[in-house]
Amino acid sequence: MPRAAQRRLHVLRRPKLRQSWSKYNLYNLWRQRDPKIGFTDHETFFQQKWRAKGLLRAYHGEHIKERDWERMFSRRLLSVANMNPQYMAQNDGSEMAAGRGSGRDIVSKWKDDKVEPKPITPYMNMAFAPMERRLDIAIFRAMFASSARQARHFVVHGKVKVNGKVMHYPAYKLNPGDMFQVDPDSVLFATGQPKKKGGSSARQAITNPQDNAEAEPAAEEAEGAEAEAAEATEASEVPEQDPETTDKPEAPKADMKPTRQAIQKLTKQAKSILARDRDVSTSQKQNLRSFLKRAKPLLSKAGRSTATPTDILDELNSMVKELNLSDAPAEAAAEAPSTPEQAVAARHEPPRSIEDLNADELKALQRLIKEEEENPADPTKPYHTPWKPRDYMSPFAFIPRYLEVNQNVCSAVYLRHPVARVNSAEVPTPFGYQINQLAFNWYLRRR
Amino acid sequence: MPPRIPTKSSASSASALVRSSFVSPCTSQCLPSCRAGFSTTPSRERSTNLRRAFLQWTRTIGANYRQPKPEGGPNYLQSFGVGPNKPFPLNPQFRSERVLDEQARELIWEKVMRRGETLKAVSAELGVDLTRVAAVVRLKEVEKDWISKGKKLATPYSKAVLGMLPTKSFRPGVQNQPLEPINELHIHTATQKQLFWPTAESRQFTREDAAKAFHAKMLSADKRVPHPELIQMEKDLLKGMSPDEARARFINAAEQSERKAAEKQQKKAMAEEQATKKVNTPRFEFRFKEVDSELIGKDGRAPNVVGWKYGMPHYDRKKGLVKIPTSVP
Repeated sequence: MPRAAQRRLHVLRRPKLRQSWSKYNLYNLWRQRDPKIGFTDHETFFQQKWRAKGLLRAYHGEHIKERDWERMFSRRLLSVANMNPQYMAQNDGSEMAAGRGSGRDIVSKWKDDKVEPKPITPYMNMAFAPMERRLDIAIFRAMFASSARQARHFVVHGKVKVNGKVMHYPAYKLNPGDMFQVDPDSVLFATGQPKKKGGSSARQAITNPQDNAEAEPAAEEAEGAEAEAAEATEASEVPEQDPETTDKPEAPKADMKPTRQAIQKLTKQAKSILARDRDVSTSQKQNLRSFLKRAKPLLSKAGRSTATPTDILDELNSMVKELNLSDAPAEAAAEAPSTPEQAVAARHEPPRSIEDLNADELKALQRLIKEEEENPADPTKPYHTPWKPRDYMSPFAFIPRYLEVNQNVCSAVYLRHPVARVNSAEVPTPFGYQINQLAFNWYLRRR
Repeated sequence: MPPRIPTKSSASSASALVRSSFVSPCTSQCLPSCRAGFSTTPSRERSTNLRRAFLQWTRTIGANYRQPKPEGGPNYLQSFGVGPNKPFPLNPQFRSERVLDEQARELIWEKVMRRGETLKAVSAELGVDLTRVAAVVRLKEVEKDWISKGKKLATPYSKAVLGMLPTKSFRPGVQNQPLEPINELHIHTATQKQLFWPTAESRQFTREDAAKAFHAKMLSADKRVPHPELIQMEKDLLKGMSPDEARARFINAAEQSERKAAEKQQKKAMAEEQATKKVNTPRFEFRFKEVDSELIGKDGRAPNVVGWKYGMPHYDRKKGLVKIPTSVP
């Protein structure tokens, strides 16, 4: 179909509403006024139906051929009635025999200022309900794709499973109870911000990945050397601090344990990250990333070569505590100075060896690290990382009741066919009752 | 054609062109426009009034919709006379309904899988549709499976989407407001026609009788609703039974009905299993079933007839016919 492929989806001139999260579509939706079909005598009934059908078909599955939709169309409109168990227990149905056969009439009084109109069940808004059964449109409704066309693309490219089996027909009609899963990477690509073309990190990753890869270990090595130097100084101090060793000092286990100085540095950096915790800026996140990068070799020194970011904090926490324990006697002395000399000594003691993180700070750091772990910066992804929702997404965000979606696994269950209720219909359609009614009448083929 | 006012850039590009006659044309100073043609002026970007209005909108009103609300919650188009949670300004009959949040889903899973409560009891307690309860548990199981396998969840996406939607959460151990009506009755097509059904005025014409009037085999509304046990519970309460006792009876009835359904399903599966003979080969599993070729219906055209019948074409491989599966087991 070359004609359909060449047609532009979003236009500002003579706009059409589409199943898409485009900003142009939002603008068109915002400025759309009631088309007022059938309000005057200028149009014949045929013309009214023609125009209404055109308005709605532009939205409902414009990528589906008219012939296909005509085959799909059903004049049978589904609806439900809410049955209150309490009412049903109190009445057996015979109360409906009163009046004209549908219960006693509630007559409004003449003196009432305003007579509320009886609520209707908008059956006509269900005109395009059979469309909602289609797999591609259900994927769009579950918010796994930014447009019905994109959803179709995902299906065709084998990114979608129905009940655990790859389904490559976008026209597959879901049955109640069917579960569909979309590849999470595709969903993140569809709903995330696009990757910046000229972004520095992206360009680096694409142009010279080996340079990048080289740079990182180099930095790590430098840091490692620093840490080792610090350990050396520490090791030289150890025998002095412990005069009670009898023969010769044991071989220092400096290479097994992270040093005080290294931990101090880390905690200092963590503090500096948390100092600007009020608004999480890009630079702060970069800082956090470098913090994690520094913490990793430290932990690998501690014998954990495969440490995940969440482990890091626990480990760091325990290290800080260990250091505290070693200082515990001194601390106790400081708390209870028995003699003035001791008190003076305590005062003259160098400031606490660790810039200790308090509980709140640790929690905040843990939260930041967890966020970083959940949503990492990854230049290999085809979307902007860390992932952020795309622009102009929130006005389109709704999930109809006939779907149950679990966003974590990018899966959804088609619970049942959409239905009409008193005062509401489940088919998401941009136009109201009258226009849907005209379109429904068009497809009844009695024109 | 609009007059082209030579801008600063075009002047510089002209000078670049002069220079380019001496230097190679693809230097960094050369503008992209001078690379292709002979024109010295850069083409101006096409802009219409419509486009300008659109850009103006993105800077003013549209800016509110660019990002989700910082405090969370829905951010639908605001327009005059349209209530909250209506994404389409011209369709007041479509509402964006609340969805269960993470905590609510976890609670439902916990109740069903850990505490072993029946789906019906959970549905009635929390006011969540029966099919939705089952779906939540099913999806949660997939999520747990992913976690146990170390597969990465789409957590940032989930957080962002749930932040844009109206959500519903439950407090455990307290009476909660329901999410949706749970006892909805499907409007059967047979009940949509008007009937002229003369009866004596003195007669109690109940729902049971109405169902019989519509169709001989139709069940009454009391039996067709998803929670007939709830109606019984209300009847018990009306009789003066204590709420605790009525509740216990309801839970018992729900358990029994679910057990009955499970047994029925199991029986069916067992019968299917017994009727099938399976032969495993390295590549396929062959399944053989006994079929009576004489069961062809009255006119020999029954829909599930096996084998080829004279005069009955099989369309399943014909060109141009739809071969999209109608169900995935």
